[in-house]
Amino acid sequence: MLVLLHRLSSVLRRLRGWILAGGTVIVMAGCATNAAQDTWKPKGANATKIDNLQKPVFAAAGVVGIIVFAAVIYCVVKFRDRGQPIPRQTHGNPALEITLTIIPALILTVVGVFTVRTVFDLAKTSDTEMIINVTGQQWWWEYDYPVQEQYGITQPIVTSGQLVIPVGTKVLLRETSRDVIHSFWIPALNGKRDAVPGRIQTNRIEADQPGIYAGQCTEFCGLSHANMRMEAVALSKEDFAKWVANQQSEYVAPADGTLAKEGEAVFLSQCVRCHQVNGLTRADGSPAIATADENVWAGVAPNLTHLMSRNTFAGAMFDLSTPECRKDVWESDSATFGPKYLAGVTEECLNQTALRNWLRNAPAVKPMYTNPALLSATDGKYRGMPYLGLSESDIEKLVAYLLTRQ
Amino acid sequence: MFTTGSKYFLGLSVLAGVAFAVSMFFANPSALGATALIGLIGALALLAGVILFARDGDVGSGEVTASSNRPAPKSMWPLVTAGGAALLLIGTITQPVFFLFGIVVLVAAFVEWMVLSWSESASSDDEFNAGVRKRLLNPIEFPVLGAVGLGLLIFSFSRVMLAVDSRFGVALFIIIGALLIVGGVLFAMRPTLKQGLVTAICALAAIAIVGAGVSAAQTGMRSELVAARYESDHEVQRECGATATDYGDSGVTQTISSVSGVNATVEFVDGELLAHVQGMTGMQRAITIPRSSPSNIIFRNFDSGRFRLVAHLGSRQVTEGVVEEVVACTQLIKSGAEQLLTLSIPKSSAANGPYSLSIAGVDDQSIDLVVP
Amino acid sequence: MAIIERPASNVALPFVDAPVTASSTFGVLKRPVAATGWKSWVFTVDHKKIGIMYGVTAMFFFVVGGIEALLIRLQLAAPNGKVLNADVYNQMFTMHATTMVFLFVMPMAAAFANYFIPLQIGARDVAFPRLNAFGLWALISGGIFVNLAWFLGGAADGGWFMYAPNSGPVFSPTHGVDFWALGLQIAGIASLTGAINLIVTVLNMRAPGMNMMRMPIFSWMALIVQFLLLFAVPVITVALFLLTFQRNFGATFFDVSAGADPLLWQHLFWIFGHPEVYILVLPSFGIVSEVLPVFSRKPLFGYPFVVFSGAAIGFVGWGVWAHHMFASGLGPVSVAVFSITTMLIAVPTGVKIVNWTLTLWGGKLWFTTAMKFSIALIVLFTVGGLSGVTHSVAPSDTQQTDTYYIVAHFHYVLFGGAVLGLFSGFYYWWPKVFGKMLSEKIGTWNFWLMAIGMNLTFGPMHILGLQGQPRRMYIWTEARSGEGFFNLGFWNLISSIGAFVIALGVLLFLINVVHTARKGEKAPLDPWDARSLEWLTTNPPKEHNFDVIPTVHHLDEFFHRKYKEDENGAMVKLKSAEDIMAEQERNADAHIHLPSPSYWPLVLAFGLPVTAYGVIFSVPLAIFGGIIILFGAFGWGLEPATAKPSDYDPPINTGDHSGEVVAVG
Repeated sequence: MLVLLHRLSSVLRRLRGWILAGGTVIVMAGCATNAAQDTWKPKGANATKIDNLQKPVFAAAGVVGIIVFAAVIYCVVKFRDRGQPIPRQTHGNPALEITLTIIPALILTVVGVFTVRTVFDLAKTSDTEMIINVTGQQWWWEYDYPVQEQYGITQPIVTSGQLVIPVGTKVLLRETSRDVIHSFWIPALNGKRDAVPGRIQTNRIEADQPGIYAGQCTEFCGLSHANMRMEAVALSKEDFAKWVANQQSEYVAPADGTLAKEGEAVFLSQCVRCHQVNGLTRADGSPAIATADENVWAGVAPNLTHLMSRNTFAGAMFDLSTPECRKDVWESDSATFGPKYLAGVTEECLNQTALRNWLRNAPAVKPMYTNPALLSATDGKYRGMPYLGLSESDIEKLVAYLLTRQ
Repeated sequence: MFTTGSKYFLGLSVLAGVAFAVSMFFANPSALGATALIGLIGALALLAGVILFARDGDVGSGEVTASSNRPAPKSMWPLVTAGGAALLLIGTITQPVFFLFGIVVLVAAFVEWMVLSWSESASSDDEFNAGVRKRLLNPIEFPVLGAVGLGLLIFSFSRVMLAVDSRFGVALFIIIGALLIVGGVLFAMRPTLKQGLVTAICALAAIAIVGAGVSAAQTGMRSELVAARYESDHEVQRECGATATDYGDSGVTQTISSVSGVNATVEFVDGELLAHVQGMTGMQRAITIPRSSPSNIIFRNFDSGRFRLVAHLGSRQVTEGVVEEVVACTQLIKSGAEQLLTLSIPKSSAANGPYSLSIAGVDDQSIDLVVP
Repeated sequence: MAIIERPASNVALPFVDAPVTASSTFGVLKRPVAATGWKSWVFTVDHKKIGIMYGVTAMFFFVVGGIEALLIRLQLAAPNGKVLNADVYNQMFTMHATTMVFLFVMPMAAAFANYFIPLQIGARDVAFPRLNAFGLWALISGGIFVNLAWFLGGAADGGWFMYAPNSGPVFSPTHGVDFWALGLQIAGIASLTGAINLIVTVLNMRAPGMNMMRMPIFSWMALIVQFLLLFAVPVITVALFLLTFQRNFGATFFDVSAGADPLLWQHLFWIFGHPEVYILVLPSFGIVSEVLPVFSRKPLFGYPFVVFSGAAIGFVGWGVWAHHMFASGLGPVSVAVFSITTMLIAVPTGVKIVNWTLTLWGGKLWFTTAMKFSIALIVLFTVGGLSGVTHSVAPSDTQQTDTYYIVAHFHYVLFGGAVLGLFSGFYYWWPKVFGKMLSEKIGTWNFWLMAIGMNLTFGPMHILGLQGQPRRMYIWTEARSGEGFFNLGFWNLISSIGAFVIALGVLLFLINVVHTARKGEKAPLDPWDARSLEWLTTNPPKEHNFDVIPTVHHLDEFFHRKYKEDENGAMVKLKSAEDIMAEQERNADAHIHLPSPSYWPLVLAFGLPVTAYGVIFSVPLAIFGGIIILFGAFGWGLEPATAKPSDYDPPINTGDHSGEVVAVG
């Protein structure tokens, strides 16, 4: 075995140069194109500020690294034992040492000045133009828009799944959490900021162009941390006004006798225990208020009033539209993006499989704490959506009803 | 080295240990079972140990000539036994605690007495006999006495700390800690110091602490701790009116430390109630709080007089037909003071509202609480 | 074992039978005095044996943590991995980090420190030998205890940082976190006792003439690490107590509705956690600073600079913890301050890299496996250091933190820094410890596989992170991994392949160990032409380390005993190591008293996990454990440092007691 190893190593030694050169090229050319969460592709003012700061730092670090590598390689080649006498036992050279201490210190001072400036620049909130409250929960985000008349928001809007913002507007996110610490991160718009229970932490985002920007919860938050995704949708100001108007539209009950009407009944008997649909009333005319606080540990489940106005569900884990329709929206240019997005998810585009699988047995497709036998720590309350035991016909009806939630 | 009897008991105690491990790891662990098995292990191991020490009654290496007609040496154990019996009797007619003490004293005295008399017949050499006794009992005596002594010191010191003013308590803690270190360092640096002197100093210090503890226990806890004890009983019934209540408003926390990132800071200035909301510039008359999320609000009273902030959180049905207002409030705090109010509101203000914040006794000022 | 009597060459000591008193026939607990067999290991207080056992323990947990890492990489090799489910994955990455940090790198560093500090400073043992044994057994108890949770309902699943409130009883309902907190508490006791022991040893037991600035650099770095431990471990102790009370006794330290702030945990954890990083790497820095001069045949360049930069890292390391929390919402002032301090700490770290490079400069380099590992450390640690500098830029860090870029960074620091340094130490000191040379042929393969494997594994993680893949996700999705041949899926696969290449390298090391043990060549007295004091004794060292406590005149004392500078400045060899050794043996001390083995450290260390188990499941058991601890402590306190003659079978003659007595504890 040793002989074999030896022979292999001599081959490797001959090819060493090629391997090194090849490796460098691979690393240089080795980046994915169009990675959804690329941190080096800023699409908004805040992320650009970070990018302008980090690129020179990476470059400087690269240069320093190359100098160190070169020095080590030089030493290794030049000073290898060729039978030269034992060198003089020099103990150092203080002048050289001090110089080589001061140089990196100077480089870092320059970096430090720019860093501090950017830190305070990014923390500025005084010129905020719009406020959105962002609340994290295992394992999805809720977005609520406080009353802001200048944007046509006359009553609080509550959504989840996709954070919709107007383009070119300095939006302040007030983040908090209902259970454990989460972290809100849309790399194209800004760095991340933790959502800590009991605290309101602010983070500013601003998008230059209409489009969808992907993100992901980045503070480990338990079982389905990997499935807690988010998307920010930037719309032109006119489109945003339309979106606001739609979110505030009156509840229209499905026509009597339709499948959707039967779905409404199923919703009232099952879903409303946790999920709110604004304006929905019970048979006796009283408003149907969700009682998530009695069934879910964190006390809230996503508001489904306008479910079909967003492309994702279950904490942005699943696409609500089929892959083709999704691609159509994501890849449209900024001029056509708005209308396509505002069209919502239509019956043709609905990702029936994903939605039905979810309704059939949610914990089977997304890990959650919903096994009734293991809920003594939470007084029997769920963390996530439990298995509901819906019949296929109930699922059929519910899908029909949900499709009316445009 | 292991005698027949000891092997038997050692084997049994190991078996009990295995049973214990099995029951803890693989069967359903229960406190009762654990106690029983640990007791069994302890008892069997003790028996095995006693038999090993006593070599199954085979004392020494043969040339044992314990004289039975020597005069019995002095012993304090008969006296202690009598004292224990007396305590036991007193306990039956007065306090059960004396009864318990009596039992402990009796058990200790019996064990000591038994081992002492056994060791006295071990050989004719008194010094050797004392050594035998020590070897058997010191490993028990030292830990027990040490634990009792330390426990007494700690308990006494805790009484002192509960009795003195809290700020003085901090100083006291630092001073005593420093004295201990200084003393330790001094003793360590002067190893030639007479042992008697060191013992005397330590004993004096211990007596001082115990004495202070006794007198502190008689004085009782400091007033705010007494109040806090009552307060926690009355916490649930805290009233949110304009006047001070007996317990709810005693021992008021007037400052907040280490709280940042609060949702809003509500200030009461010159009869006006305004909120500074995190992330917004200027003062607001409305605060948005996420549903079901514990949210911190700081109340600052800049007005003259004592005020409290009250959160009106709609109503809830107690029983059929009986509806109760839901309120939460801070304590009455003096001018210039601040206090934290943590709210968690399960229903939206559209469903159960409206919600608002106001000052008790001031009618025209309020801040809207919006819960989307 | 206990007392080594070396008859002075000209005086024959009369051997007198000790009087057999009756006392020796009483009692079960005869003191363990065996010099061979398993008892000589289990009850030993010899710093060398304890060091070796630390090493074996650490190596075992390295394999355990490595298997956990392989499972993690298997799961992530392809999108939507099916190897582990979410729950098990979360336990896996938590325990991988916990094992590698607390049960591999720290104990392995302790192994080196235990073994070599006394040898390098010219002492016969550590200051408190029984405390030393206790530290080892407490560490083993703690390590087993943490891992016990795997078999009792599931291991800890909150990440090694265990952020509150996710670690609370509601969000982590199994007992995993309890086992984790209490197990680390026990391991922390071990670290703390070890730290005190080694600090006292270094400060008080250096050989005559060895002032602090003549102390070998490894001992210096290990000393700094012990000080860091001394101050950092109490912080995590407090944090773990809060967590234990929150979980088991209904306390509300991190409960927001009771007015608490969960960021308290983060501050406590990272005030411990950042110095911990230096606790992990500084020992390796010490090893490298020993290895590079030996194989460059010249002294460490700028020894005082390396010492003081190590001390500076030790100090400034306390002021940078919040750079782990740039995204936590500390406010711009705190972020700016910690950003600057983090840049500050890069300077002394840079000094070390410069000094190592300049040590090579103008040397006569001998590329042994140890040297290869050390040179690789310079290069790879530089990569980790530079990516660290990019994190100190706080705004940039808010993009990178909690992505694979961070994973890449700290693996370059901890694998490229700490682990490669430890392996360098294995190859360098193996002949000293075991008296046999590790095979250089297998070693070369071991080195290249680990070096290449590590770059394959962690190199691509830079790309993964910068292109937006967050950490701690049990699956990743193709939807967000981009397009092109080099998409994130490709790099995930490469990274997984790399992990197995590393595993192969480690396997070769283990093969090398077995091979060497069975038919390794016997080590010469001075195989590397070494420089420091530990080579002034046999391989493996004698039980009492040195026949004569050496008097030190130089930094690199051993080298200067071998070489002299002639009038032209060239180095001339005066004596061989064999000459020096023979001289030592001629002048050997007559009476060398070493501390005796003891049961009590073992008893005390055994009481700790029993108590901890009781805290989780049954209070009576905790009390029982407390009694064991109390009993052990008193037994220990009442036991003399050296065994009585009557403990020996047959009893031995103690001779006169004029020789030095080394140990007190």
